[in-house]
Amino acid sequence: MTSALAVKQVTLFGIRHHGPGSARSLEQALTALQPDCVLVEGPPEADDLLGFAADPAMQPPVALLLYDPKQPQRAVFFPFASFSPEWRAFQYAAQHQVPVRFFDLPHSHRLADAAHDHAPPAAQADQETEPAEAEPDDDFYSDPLDWLGRSAGYADGESWWEHMVEQRRDTSDIFQAIAEAMTVLREQPPTQRNAAYERREALREAYMRKQIRAACKHYQRIAVVCGAWHVPALAARVAAKDDNARLKGLAKINLKATWVPWSYQRLSSASGYGAGVSAPGWYHHLWSASPTADNHAARHITIGWLTRIAHLLRAQDLDCSSAHVIEAVRLAEALAAMRARPLPGLEELDEAVRAVICMGDDRITAIIRKQLLVDDRLGAVPRDVPTVPLQQDFEQQQKSLRLKAEVGQKMLMLDLRKPSHLERSKLLHRMSLLDIRWGHPANHHGGKGTFHEQWRLEWLPDYSIDLIGAAAWGNTIAEAASQRTIDRAAQHQTLSELAGLIDAVLAADLTAAVSPVVARLQALAADESDIGAMMTALPALGRVLRYGDVRQTDTDQLKPIVDSLVTRLCIGLVNACRSLDDEAAAQMTERIDQVAQTTALLPNPEDRERWLVALFQLAQQSDVNGLVAGRACRLVFDSGRHADACRDLLLSALSRGSDPEQAGRWFEGFLRTSGTLLLHDDHLWDLIDTWLCGLSGAAFETVLPLVRRTMASFSAGERRQIAERVKRNPAGQSSQTAGDSTPIDHERAALAMPLLNRLLACGPNQRGAS
Amino acid sequence: MNNILRRQAEDQFAEELAELRKADDLARPENWAMSPQAVVTYLMGGTLANGFTVSAKYIGNRRLMEIAAATLATDRALLLYGVPGTAKSWVSEHLAAAITGDSTLLIQGTAGTSEEAIRYGWNYARLLAQGPSEEALVASPLIRAMEAGKLARIEELTRIPADVQDSLITILSEKALPVPELNTQVQARRGFNVIATANNRDKGVNELSSALKRRFNTVILPLPDSMDQEIAIVEKRVNEHRTVLALPAEAPAAEEIRRVVTIFRELRAGRTEDGKNKLKSPSGTLSTAEAISVMGSGLALAGHFGDGCLRPADLAAGLIGAVVKDPVQDRIVWNEYLETVVKERDDWADLYRVCRELD
Repeated sequence: MTSALAVKQVTLFGIRHHGPGSARSLEQALTALQPDCVLVEGPPEADDLLGFAADPAMQPPVALLLYDPKQPQRAVFFPFASFSPEWRAFQYAAQHQVPVRFFDLPHSHRLADAAHDHAPPAAQADQETEPAEAEPDDDFYSDPLDWLGRSAGYADGESWWEHMVEQRRDTSDIFQAIAEAMTVLREQPPTQRNAAYERREALREAYMRKQIRAACKHYQRIAVVCGAWHVPALAARVAAKDDNARLKGLAKINLKATWVPWSYQRLSSASGYGAGVSAPGWYHHLWSASPTADNHAARHITIGWLTRIAHLLRAQDLDCSSAHVIEAVRLAEALAAMRARPLPGLEELDEAVRAVICMGDDRITAIIRKQLLVDDRLGAVPRDVPTVPLQQDFEQQQKSLRLKAEVGQKMLMLDLRKPSHLERSKLLHRMSLLDIRWGHPANHHGGKGTFHEQWRLEWLPDYSIDLIGAAAWGNTIAEAASQRTIDRAAQHQTLSELAGLIDAVLAADLTAAVSPVVARLQALAADESDIGAMMTALPALGRVLRYGDVRQTDTDQLKPIVDSLVTRLCIGLVNACRSLDDEAAAQMTERIDQVAQTTALLPNPEDRERWLVALFQLAQQSDVNGLVAGRACRLVFDSGRHADACRDLLLSALSRGSDPEQAGRWFEGFLRTSGTLLLHDDHLWDLIDTWLCGLSGAAFETVLPLVRRTMASFSAGERRQIAERVKRNPAGQSSQTAGDSTPIDHERAALAMPLLNRLLACGPNQRGAS
Repeated sequence: MNNILRRQAEDQFAEELAELRKADDLARPENWAMSPQAVVTYLMGGTLANGFTVSAKYIGNRRLMEIAAATLATDRALLLYGVPGTAKSWVSEHLAAAITGDSTLLIQGTAGTSEEAIRYGWNYARLLAQGPSEEALVASPLIRAMEAGKLARIEELTRIPADVQDSLITILSEKALPVPELNTQVQARRGFNVIATANNRDKGVNELSSALKRRFNTVILPLPDSMDQEIAIVEKRVNEHRTVLALPAEAPAAEEIRRVVTIFRELRAGRTEDGKNKLKSPSGTLSTAEAISVMGSGLALAGHFGDGCLRPADLAAGLIGAVVKDPVQDRIVWNEYLETVVKERDDWADLYRVCRELD
């Protein structure tokens, strides 16, 4: 029964998804056929939504999204571009008011089946994106088109199809030819496929045949649009009862469908979309440049494309004259002729542009590739289309975490040791990464790891729209935040930005984003030749390594990066500290301090070791700004190593021969901001004390201004305590220098004491008063 | 003839050229000795229908050679561009040999190249005796190429002073060279074209004017894509050198070639071959040609001063010399590489040791 009907009523159109050639041929064939019903390969669950396809607010590229409302990450996208044959079929049906329906096996069965089988739901999230490819397997080598392509001398099936079908101008009999090719291929499948796959395909084809039979009861001329691979199976004679038997007892889950805006970016195969095309922008051009099929138009495609490139280049302030375009057209055509192709393809155009216009420069072609081949076109869907899963995921999480979206500010205290609080914190961090600033961290916990987090929550109505916008990044908050972060990481150009980002990623516990961000970090770290930037980035990374486990995140990947960063930083440190002016030196000292703090906390003892060696080297340089050298010397001294060498360095830096400016900076670097430390660290105290006491009178006079200058940076309290300690514990004879010149009239001085005591709030102290 | 140090391409590969011409049945542009497709076969190597094997002259991307041939077939001048040591002159010579059978119409560009070298000069004795005449005119290789409809080659175009470069513009666009002294002009015959080579490390020295740039199609000859490709090139050339220079050392172990090529590739690309580590690149080019010369000097060291077998110690000096061109920046790059990459590779310990000793 089937076969008879297939001949009389049903016309099968084997297509490849997203091909302008197929789209054009299909449109012509439909116009010639005048069908009264159109069946399109696709999920019947979305039949209700097909009406939107004709809505003027609907701008392809768009995608049909099928998802499980209970688990939104279990979702399937069916993208359509204006040059997708299926899209043309919808448009045709809408224009001619012909019923159009999807007739593939409902996806509710397929997802249920997959869930039932073995596939973990996570794997389904983005990979299950094929509407049903003409290539029935992702595996490159088992793509039957590759077999055809390679036997015809092409690199792969895609370029063969592109030349034979998509760029073809003469479309008559093309569907007949495709059907024959596929029949032969299916008779002798080049490779064995796995059993689960075979079973699924058989089910789908049985269901499709059943639908065709059902349609035959009502309609006279049925146009069936399906993946080329299925054509022979749909035309085959199979008894209805066999198909029905096969389709019995299928598991089923409830699915919801909606339209979402799509982008050419995600239509491109580079985005990981199984049925993706390498250059959607090019296909768009092929489709829109000449919707009619005459030979004269062929050259228009080449000229139009190259002219667009010329405009693009001019917009980038690069020279490109019409003469360039003329020559590029000639070269592209000559190349096509040499390779025996009727029309220059993308490769020829690319090469011609590079050779003629870009002086062979690949960087410029990369700009073109990005802007033209992939095109940043974004689709749009009408407002009355049902909601997206990201929103549902968000609402669900809100409910389970009891975080209400409220207008007006509210403070939230979280204790990260409690699982529910940790989850809330993650959600807030993820939302921030999606640029939805629902929660603002109220306390900035700097270098200290803490279990507490304080948030200021405020929900703005705009956030719901932002959420829909973020839906392009993924179906769950976690997935979308990961994607957004990965994208952002790719745009960050400086190490410190990226180091901040990884902090945020770990706080948001985006495991999927960690590797890409770390990889990017590594790439930037290697390119980074600015030691200063490395030093700025290191503290953040060190902090993550040190405190990351508060949030139970895995930081193993970071270790090698930090190690290599420290290694490279140590190699370059001395050079980076040369020829700094005072301002730069102050900044560098700041950074050295931060890195020193960080390395002290790093798990790998070798890092600390290397850092100290580099610091010691730095301290020994005579041509480095004193501030930096002094600081380095001090840090080495604090580590307890090379104590004698440090003492010698101190002596020589502050000796008479050295330039007083330089010596002053050195001493400042050595002692700055450590008044309290000086008081409590006996080693340091002894070092300074011994040095000062060992000075001859004249030498003391020389260094006195330097010492004063440094001491002046201490707080008054510190200075007082230092003085007290000197008095209490007069290891040196420095007190005499002040006392021996004029005798003090103790009685008169005592008169001033009560007032001074009140002013300074300290005990009676004659030396403090003088 | 046998004591000639290096033979012209059309001489050396005369048999291959003859076989290709015989087997070629595709359309030839006027005055071409063979079709563009056959030219590409000559460069890339292959087996002809009659079983004759053509050796590969260029190991690399076939598409580049196709662009080069197609460019010349469309009357556009060809500019081969690339870092030093990427076979630009080699390709230009072989293109000329294949297309016209004559690769000798050559102008070597230097900072001192004058306009006479590109256009024409005068035989002054004749000029004084007879006044301006065709006989007194000394034609440049370019004029001879125009008259014969052949290919002229210009080496190192960007070394030529800008004002002299610009005398090419009329020749390339109008395909004619006016000789005002004789009130005449030389008109190019079909088949005439120019292949120029230029070095993009010298970019900005005598940058081509945009008018001149526009008259060239540019093909950038890249450094080899894959490890194996580069090893094949180095091995082939090193062995040729060894025979020519009669070096006493044994042919180098493939392992050592692999190591040198790996180091060069990693530093050049700024990443390790496994893609796990990114690296800084030194200021030098580290082309394949330099890898060949490092191997060559290593062989010479091993042969004359060592035990005749190539050891890491023989390579180290040449290696460091090739990498460290700038004593400060490159030294940092090299040290980082030694410490983060070479040190970590267990089987490279010997190399690490000798490199550290030389530091």
